[in-house]
Amino acid sequence: MTPLQQTVAWLDERLDLTEVRHFISEKGVPVHAQKIWYYLGGMTLFLFCVQVCTGILLLLYYRPSAAEAYESVQFIVTKVEFGWLIRNIHSWSANLLIALAFAHFFSVFLLKSYRKPRELTWLSGVLLLFLMLGFGFSGYLLPWNELSFFATKVGTGIAGAVPFAGHFLLRLLRGGDDVTGATLSRFYGLHVAILPAVATALVAAHLLLVQRQGMSVPLDLEIRIRQGEGVPQMRFFPDYILRDVLAWYVALALLAALALFYPWELGNKADPFAAVPPGIRPEWYFLAMFHTLKLLPSHIAGFEGEQVGVLAFGAAAALLVFVPFLDRHALRGRRSPAFTVAGVLGLVYLVTLTIVGHYAK
Amino acid sequence: MLLLVLALAAGPEMNSCVTCHASQQDQRLARPAALFTQPDVHRERGFACVDCHGGDPSAPDKTRAHDPALLFKGKPTGQAVVTTCARCHSDAELMRSYAPKQRVDQATEYAASIHGKRLATGDPRVATCVSCHGAHGVRLASDAKSPVFPTNVATTCGSCHADPERMGGYKLADGSPLPTSQLSDYRRSVHFAAMTKGNDLSAPTCNDCHGNHGAAPPGVGAIANVCGTCHAVFAQKFETSVHRQIFDKGCVECHGNHAVLKPSDAMLSANGHGICVPCHSGEDQSDHGNVAAEQMRGDIEGLKVRLDGAGALLARIKNAGIEVSDEELALREAGSKLTLARTEVHTFEPPRVAAVIADANGVVTHIDDAGQRGLAELRYRRRGLSMSLGAILLVVVALALKVRQIDRQRS
Amino acid sequence: MPTTLGDLPYAPQTGGPAFDRRRFLDALLTVGFVSTAAAMAYPVARFLIPPRTGDPETASAVAARAADLKPNSGKIFKFGNKPGIVVRTAEGDLRAFSAVCSHLDCTVQFKADTAQLWCACHNGTYDLGGNVVSGPPPRGLEAFVVNVRGEGADAEIVVSRS
Repeated sequence: MTPLQQTVAWLDERLDLTEVRHFISEKGVPVHAQKIWYYLGGMTLFLFCVQVCTGILLLLYYRPSAAEAYESVQFIVTKVEFGWLIRNIHSWSANLLIALAFAHFFSVFLLKSYRKPRELTWLSGVLLLFLMLGFGFSGYLLPWNELSFFATKVGTGIAGAVPFAGHFLLRLLRGGDDVTGATLSRFYGLHVAILPAVATALVAAHLLLVQRQGMSVPLDLEIRIRQGEGVPQMRFFPDYILRDVLAWYVALALLAALALFYPWELGNKADPFAAVPPGIRPEWYFLAMFHTLKLLPSHIAGFEGEQVGVLAFGAAAALLVFVPFLDRHALRGRRSPAFTVAGVLGLVYLVTLTIVGHYAK
Repeated sequence: MLLLVLALAAGPEMNSCVTCHASQQDQRLARPAALFTQPDVHRERGFACVDCHGGDPSAPDKTRAHDPALLFKGKPTGQAVVTTCARCHSDAELMRSYAPKQRVDQATEYAASIHGKRLATGDPRVATCVSCHGAHGVRLASDAKSPVFPTNVATTCGSCHADPERMGGYKLADGSPLPTSQLSDYRRSVHFAAMTKGNDLSAPTCNDCHGNHGAAPPGVGAIANVCGTCHAVFAQKFETSVHRQIFDKGCVECHGNHAVLKPSDAMLSANGHGICVPCHSGEDQSDHGNVAAEQMRGDIEGLKVRLDGAGALLARIKNAGIEVSDEELALREAGSKLTLARTEVHTFEPPRVAAVIADANGVVTHIDDAGQRGLAELRYRRRGLSMSLGAILLVVVALALKVRQIDRQRS
Repeated sequence: MPTTLGDLPYAPQTGGPAFDRRRFLDALLTVGFVSTAAAMAYPVARFLIPPRTGDPETASAVAARAADLKPNSGKIFKFGNKPGIVVRTAEGDLRAFSAVCSHLDCTVQFKADTAQLWCACHNGTYDLGGNVVSGPPPRGLEAFVVNVRGEGADAEIVVSRS
């Protein structure tokens, strides 16, 4: 026996690997025209792992105080061996992760994979998407440079626009009335402890559910399966896994290319007393929301425009969570063109507003 | 008024002077009494009206109070003011018991001043002690409300010297009328800005160059000494230069006397707005001054360009993640040498300026080298990353081929 | 995961170029995986090893070795990206200041004959409390906190912001 086979046998005697063996040999993945979208989830997971690893590495040198944060990042990038690489990867992977998370989200939405019995998977997924946005927002402040300081100021300021609870929320986020070292500590705690803990639990739940329930198939195919048709399966090992790894490597290539052609810069240390740089805006994944709020008129039906906007986004987020229960047609396993249209419109809206927001003065 | 009188129930000596004068309708008589009740350095030390004016302070009627036999002087004017003040202020033993460190030669100095000399010829219009210090309500010079507190000196001098009517009839040595633009000129100067905006009370005002009591414009040849009391290094350099003998007005020839503005490198030119223009010709290549100005200016501008370039390079690679604190320190040193070069300009000898510039250029060259090394490091990083990208793409291609191979196996 | 890629249930190959191509592809894949894994592991390993200057020197810096600074002498050192000066007085006390002259940013130096800090650019002079004594500087020099770390020959003078 090869050493590997001996090790496996040793473990088998103690842990009974029958189920694992069964899983490896029997697990299948449906094959159909839309299966390309299956890989997005895995790529997102891969990038999340990259973030955890590079994040832990950065954690060894980073100092979360207003006096030292910028200098510690500068130290990482200039003095620590390959610090520039780890930092670059972490920053770009964050952006790529959120982009892929959104792609995964939209593909699942448009394919109606949230329908019964996968409501819980959808729920954990939507919450994970919000968590990723939270990771992005909290992490962006940590280098404590001009851009991140003012983007955080603007972003947390928007939280203050929520009616009734606005001021409380703003103080909760900022750790005070203004963005200060207290905000940095709070965001740091969020970014390295609270959000990772919750995300790990949700990712575990999400994966377990996917494994237990198997991959969902498009509605048309499901209807045909109910009528007795069979659907070709691909072996999970090695066929699907190889393709999954290929997808991961594509993500890795994208990451390396981004780090190569658009290396992340240090910027200038944040000066809380400096004037807000003109044209300050948040990162691209918040740009659509940000620009929408800018475009809203100052008063709508007697309420402040910004308040209405923030409430509308809050309502949209809540609706998203409950989509499986709202989509009556999908619930009954029928076509749901209304939701498809809504999804496409939502995608178009987000993309358009992001582009407009990027080029706006 | 009543309160005033009650407040002055301090001593019987003051009573009748103030009681009577305070109740006068004529402000010329009432005001001094009122002022004397304000913070006044003499009153606070126990001096009263009688100590300067004489007379009898306990007498209730005017005749006895103003008795000349009791040395009543009335209002001293002209030389009498100086004599009155000097009676105490030139008495070293007396002054020692009140203000041991205060000088006692003010009257002597005054006699040497333009004001004192004109007073001696009978001119009643010139300033005397009370013109600047006040007579009643006198404050210490260190009191911020005193007319001779550093920030107030220019306004005090200007109360006469900026008034064309008051200064009418006075002429300069060459016969032209005495200018009254000094105050407005001074307010445009860097010295004024240093005092008011920079809060530097040691910045020069009128008395720092003209003297306090012995006030007079610095004579020809003395100007460099006067400026040199603060600007020592420049005066030293200027002392060795060709212009020392040529310039009538020393530093003032180029920098002005009252409207001393922030100097710029553009001044160093015999063309256009350069200050060499009145004497030197920018067209004439045989004009030594023109050639020297061009050389020095060229050297300095060249260094500035190199400093800017080095600074920009360092900023760029620092932003990209290269450690540059040593180079930033060196850049600061090179910047100091620019300051030194500008000082050296006052020798008006191009080789000396060139030597300082050459020093600085040496430092900038090191910085540029370090900058190039930084850029090379950045390129090295990119090369490494692109090689990794190549390896990753290789794997992607190999995996794709493998997948295709397995698929063909299956079918 | 199957034990090796070679264990997969392929249809038997007839040999020749197709067989070599499969081996070649497997070899290529192995090389690819190993090299990319190394390209990721190597930077991580180097990253973990702390650099020589272990502390981002923002708030404090090592100015000199204590034994190197004799009484009535001073030394310029680097504090972040600005110069600082550490002085040992004739009595043996340690003082440290920013060496940036408040007049026009030239670097000051210690003059042993007058026991003062002097700026060569325009003759500004400061006393050993950082106060301006004479010359054009409008403000004094910022004072830093000085401590000695360690013992004996290796003792270091550490300067930090107050």
